[in-house]
Amino acid sequence: MLPLSLSKNKKNNFYNLRPQPSLGIGNFMLEENQNISAIQTCRNRMIWPVIFFFLIYLIITIRVFFVCLPHGIKISLPEEDMTEHEINVQSPISRADILDRNGAIIATSLPTVNLYANPKKIQDAKEAALKLSSLFPEISYDEIYAKLTKKRSSFSMIKHDLSPAQQAKVNALGIPALEFQTSEKRVYLHNNLFAHVLGYTNIDNVGQSGIEKFMHKRLTESSKPLELTVDMGIQDTIRQELENAVEKFKAAGAAAILMDINSGEIISLVSLPDFNPNIKIPVGEKALFNFITQATYEPGSVFKTFNTALALESGKIKPTDKFDATKPVIIQKRKISDDHPKNSWLTVDEILTYSSNIGSVKMAEKVGKDGQRKFLKNLGFFEKVHDFEIPEIGRPLFQSEKDWAPITVATVSYGHGISVTPLHIITAFSALVNGGIYHNPTLIKSATPKVSKRVISEYTSEQMRQMLRNVVLYGTGKKADVAGYEVGGKTGTANKTDKGSYAKTRVTNSFVSTFPTSDPKYALLVIIDEPQGIKETWNQRAAGWNTVPTTGKIIAQIAPQLGLKANFDVETQRAHIKAVQ
Amino acid sequence: MFNTRNALNALWFTLACVVIFGCFILKNQVHDLENELAKINRNIASDMRNIHVLKAEWGRLNTPARLRKLAQEHISLNNLRAEQIINYSALPFENESSSVTVAVSDSKDLKQLVKTQR
Repeated sequence: MLPLSLSKNKKNNFYNLRPQPSLGIGNFMLEENQNISAIQTCRNRMIWPVIFFFLIYLIITIRVFFVCLPHGIKISLPEEDMTEHEINVQSPISRADILDRNGAIIATSLPTVNLYANPKKIQDAKEAALKLSSLFPEISYDEIYAKLTKKRSSFSMIKHDLSPAQQAKVNALGIPALEFQTSEKRVYLHNNLFAHVLGYTNIDNVGQSGIEKFMHKRLTESSKPLELTVDMGIQDTIRQELENAVEKFKAAGAAAILMDINSGEIISLVSLPDFNPNIKIPVGEKALFNFITQATYEPGSVFKTFNTALALESGKIKPTDKFDATKPVIIQKRKISDDHPKNSWLTVDEILTYSSNIGSVKMAEKVGKDGQRKFLKNLGFFEKVHDFEIPEIGRPLFQSEKDWAPITVATVSYGHGISVTPLHIITAFSALVNGGIYHNPTLIKSATPKVSKRVISEYTSEQMRQMLRNVVLYGTGKKADVAGYEVGGKTGTANKTDKGSYAKTRVTNSFVSTFPTSDPKYALLVIIDEPQGIKETWNQRAAGWNTVPTTGKIIAQIAPQLGLKANFDVETQRAHIKAVQ
Repeated sequence: MFNTRNALNALWFTLACVVIFGCFILKNQVHDLENELAKINRNIASDMRNIHVLKAEWGRLNTPARLRKLAQEHISLNNLRAEQIINYSALPFENESSSVTVAVSDSKDLKQLVKTQR
């Protein structure tokens, strides 16, 4: 029998057991040593797998230990590192909110879901259509069935803007072909209140008019809310008073705009009739017409304000100059007379106070065509209002320079023969009373004011304020004299045109005012379209009977809201206290 | 010499294992933290959505038309009138000149004044 020995096959690197030839006793000792060495090598090599498995089990043990801990392991970061981490969570809506000047939300978007069907997955279209039509009675069975059986399509919109309750009901139907798409709906919190300022969006949230249209890019690119210059409370007060006036005077409509004369910011803009932008609006509806920005109308006597400023600013006429208003003037065979003739010579102040057409014509004639055109152009009456944030804007209508005949000079002096928008009037009027600086009107609250320019001197502006105050104290604006707020303004009653000639019974009345005249802050233009004569007004429909008292009511309410302190004479106040006692 | 080398090898191996173990733990922690962060972000997004809806509701509740209706129903306050805002100097005090017709001999006048302003 041959002894067995372990010998390493160097080539293959593993041990072979094969018979070895006997080598005697000396060889036996050597053989034994070789066996021990081989076992030792084995042991040494076994250590590594043992350590390896030991560590594996150790890791598992430690991991199990930590998993068993109630809160796992916490890595505590230094305090400053924690504060540097910014929360990067996207805004829940894709169209930014719109705020009023005090930060109150006036338009926002709410997350909703749209319901759509995958017609390829539908199993029983009739049953599904029946269930859905009972859930949404506003959509007919046939309409839903047609949508569910749409051929070669995997998307068919069923309904937009589901409420959470409706979504739950649809889920409860258990129809696998019905799916939801996240969406958002534009919501106007005040319904009609800001209709003509904000405009509205379509079903795809794309702005269709107003600020929504003009600022569409800004609203969709930044989630930061857009701040407007309008004031919710003031807007509501004015709208309510206009509604009352429309009802009282059975008018076709009314409009008002309130401007901060020192910045051009528009605090309120109302045009009636208006609409609820939350409801789908039929195109061409009269309510969509923004009277303030779109209506180009002959403003009537309101324009005498600009004619008076023109006269004073030209340097050709002094406030004390008198003009003959005893008899009508005839220009190009057309007779121009006064509605309430004074039959006397009138000063510039009296011409404005008593709203004399004859006096206005004579002043304009003295200044001349070129001076008149240049002045009106400088006040922005010959072009659209620049950079205004409502895209629906009217272009003024006026004669070209070639056709600007002497009769045009005459009629324009008292607000006929030229059509401008109420926005033009309030912007130019603000410049006349604020010290002579023309500010572009704006609806966007911004730290950087828009470009401004001087149009008349401070001295002329001061004289204008005094004269406008006199109109309210002694002229056609008496019913707007709100105690303590020194209102100054000018009325205008313009006959509407009907088939090429002026209609006697259809008028558009305006009253443009500023307050307080000692240190004016605001300008307000109130317009009532086609007011009717009522018993209270002795069947009169002139501006002094409707727009003026409406303006008075508005100023009495909004002046305290605007933080204006009533400027009472101490003795008057004491007399008032005594009277109350 | 051989034993020292083996011991060193064992030491490096052990260190490597410790580092591997450390990395493993760290990876797990990061994974946990990422999950936690995602959860927090989801919660923040959800809260922001809810806050947004609540703001809209609050705005709706504060519409002037609604507040006016509530005020008319529940309180008897009217709009402030211009003549209700008076100067301090208009208050009739006793030590003023004789031209002042109203003298405050007692607090009755002031009470009356306050009453008129209500």
